[in-house]
Amino acid sequence: MSDLALLQDVIGEPKLIDWNWLKDNFWEYIVPAFQGHIFLSSISIAIALVIALPVGILCARYRKAYPPVTVVTGILYSIPSLALFAILVAAGVNVGPTPVIIALVAYSLLILIRNTVAGIDAVPPETIDAARGMGLTSRQILFRVELPLALPIIVAGIRIATVTIIGIATIGAYIHGGGLGQLIFDGINRQFPTMIIAGAVLATALAIFADVVLLGLERYLRPWARARRA
Amino acid sequence: MLSKIMGVFARPDFPLLLREHVVLSAVALLIAVAVALPVALLVRNTPLGATIAINVGNIGRAVPSLAILALALPFLGIGFASALVALTALAIPPILINASIGLREVRQDIIDAARGMGLSGGQILTRIQLPIAAPVIFAGIRTSAVQTVASATLATFIGAGGLGDLIVEGLQRRGPRYCSQGPSPSRSLRSSRSSASAGSRGPSPRRGCRSRRREEVVN
Amino acid sequence: MIEFRHVSKTYAGSDRPVVNDLSFEVLDGEICVLVGPSGCGKTTSMRMVNRLIEITEGEILIDGEPNTSMSGTQLRRKIGYAIQQIGLFPHRTIADNIGTVPNLLGWEKGRIRERVNDLLDLVGLSPDEYRDRYPAELSGGQQQRVGVARALAADPPIMLMDEPFGAVDPITRERLQDEFLHIQEDIKKTIVFVTHDIDEAIKMGDKIAILKQGGVLAQYDTPQTILSRPNSEFVSSFVGGDRLLKRLSLTRVSELDLGPANGGTDGLPRISDGLTVRDALSELMGSGQSKAVVEKDGEKKLLTFQDIEALTSSGAMGGGKRSA
Repeated sequence: MSDLALLQDVIGEPKLIDWNWLKDNFWEYIVPAFQGHIFLSSISIAIALVIALPVGILCARYRKAYPPVTVVTGILYSIPSLALFAILVAAGVNVGPTPVIIALVAYSLLILIRNTVAGIDAVPPETIDAARGMGLTSRQILFRVELPLALPIIVAGIRIATVTIIGIATIGAYIHGGGLGQLIFDGINRQFPTMIIAGAVLATALAIFADVVLLGLERYLRPWARARRA
Repeated sequence: MLSKIMGVFARPDFPLLLREHVVLSAVALLIAVAVALPVALLVRNTPLGATIAINVGNIGRAVPSLAILALALPFLGIGFASALVALTALAIPPILINASIGLREVRQDIIDAARGMGLSGGQILTRIQLPIAAPVIFAGIRTSAVQTVASATLATFIGAGGLGDLIVEGLQRRGPRYCSQGPSPSRSLRSSRSSASAGSRGPSPRRGCRSRRREEVVN
Repeated sequence: MIEFRHVSKTYAGSDRPVVNDLSFEVLDGEICVLVGPSGCGKTTSMRMVNRLIEITEGEILIDGEPNTSMSGTQLRRKIGYAIQQIGLFPHRTIADNIGTVPNLLGWEKGRIRERVNDLLDLVGLSPDEYRDRYPAELSGGQQQRVGVARALAADPPIMLMDEPFGAVDPITRERLQDEFLHIQEDIKKTIVFVTHDIDEAIKMGDKIAILKQGGVLAQYDTPQTILSRPNSEFVSSFVGGDRLLKRLSLTRVSELDLGPANGGTDGLPRISDGLTVRDALSELMGSGQSKAVVEKDGEKKLLTFQDIEALTSSGAMGGGKRSA
């Protein structure tokens, strides 16, 4: 009934996927959007790591700093992304990749800091005691014992943060951040499903790909646990 | 600034948008709980099933929310139903993952002890497994709820309204330079729906709708 | 030599000391066991030697030098450290674990490798098989062996051991104790050994320091003296009502001066001369006979209840536990 008419209206034309359009626009439209998405996500995760690792280590050391850090990053984390973009733009940040990257970094902080602290906390106390007892300095204990042992959990955090970031980055296209979201929004605008599907499927594929690769890295970094199973 | 913000709450359409947002999020969350919990309960005693449920959940969690919403559009059209399906799909993974993990992590020796004391399978579930797993299950529902409410702002892009309408409108008032789409997609899509039911096609009459709305609101 | 001089420890925010005016000496090559009920400050006392815990009052001298004469980390690299929970680095192989301190001291790779192999041999683990494994792949007993090997790695003259055989079953513990005493005969380390188990203290210690609540030294002496002449109600109740039997376990049958077995040994039980007198007594009573035959250097000797009684009444018991 009217559902069909509705569908037709939004889609504009009956075909869901227009292969010719995909072929024609592959190099000058789809590939740059894909690259832009990878750029946005990777630069955000890199900046977030630079902030979160030292903060996480400090929080693990100075316990009093942890609750306020959790509260602040937790609030950032729960702001809907579209709202955060709007707030940044309203606060005077020029539209484009900048506000998107700021928002993506803000979203990753909670996950990355929490996992860094959890990773360091998970190091058995007797292992630290033995390390101290053998004469390792605090710095040596941090770099040779705590961080290597925490690394798999930190990487697990990077994995969750990356997947989250890739997802939210699509919305950034709304404020001219570029990336695969551009295909989705243009598709909605032009009522052209091929673009919507191309953008959505590629963004999903990228997120799942990152998830699987980082999960592999996480396992690789834990040879001692692999050995246990063997 | 503050008075402008307060002005938003005084808008005649604010209660409507708020209600749309709440209804959309709440219904999606309820359906997600109704789907995910029984699945987790079904697979609770089969390690393979639990592993599959957790992995499916993990992959589902990786799918971008805008992608799901946008994908619903070509298949289900614009409006509430479309957004509801998409948000439900988004709300399921965190609940499914946490419920499966929570039930799986109940220590086997506790279950053995319960069985040894003669508790039936159902009693073990209601007296042992569920109470112990409850905090983890509720944490999953909470995560899902926060995420659903946040993702519901995106419903505006597929014409399902909600508070996202306000955000998009705010961005658009700064001029087309500030955002990808011309008019507020939700409103325009709604108006195109009404025009669709009236049988008219062709270029959508967005502009007119937008300018009318603008006059409604005193800045 | 390790010398405790009026050592006290009071934690910040508490007015009651956990270690109170502790003074004693551990001679070179001796094992000194700190033993006592939980909360007696035995672990705290041990951890003050390598300054994992800092002293509040008094001082600890190592070979005449206060242990504060160098930095804590430098000090600890010169003192072996083995603990009950072992604390092996789960992300490092067995070889890396044992090589930790030599590595910190900047030994060259080949030397570390050789040392690790020697130590694995010493604690009874085949280097080829265990070098490249991770701790999680080893049994509890094997992990404790590695823990001891790691503590010995840089050949420190002093070792601190906090219930180093505590995390394994009794049979494995017994074997690890015997092996360690055997190793100690060669390496002659000066050892502070903490345990809550009086039997382990009697077995392992050249000297025993019994501590009571509040970190007060109740008695410091050889196991024999502590068993035969406990100086207080606390010590005699801590060593237990069976202290006579415990004394018997300090001596082996081979050390007894037994009379020859003349003639009629048929039907008498045979007892190995490697048993402790306590175990021999148990076998003798179990046999229902009043005497038993012990073969010693091919000679047959006779063990009687009188021999055992004579031992308990004389002061000259023990001293042979190192010949395990």
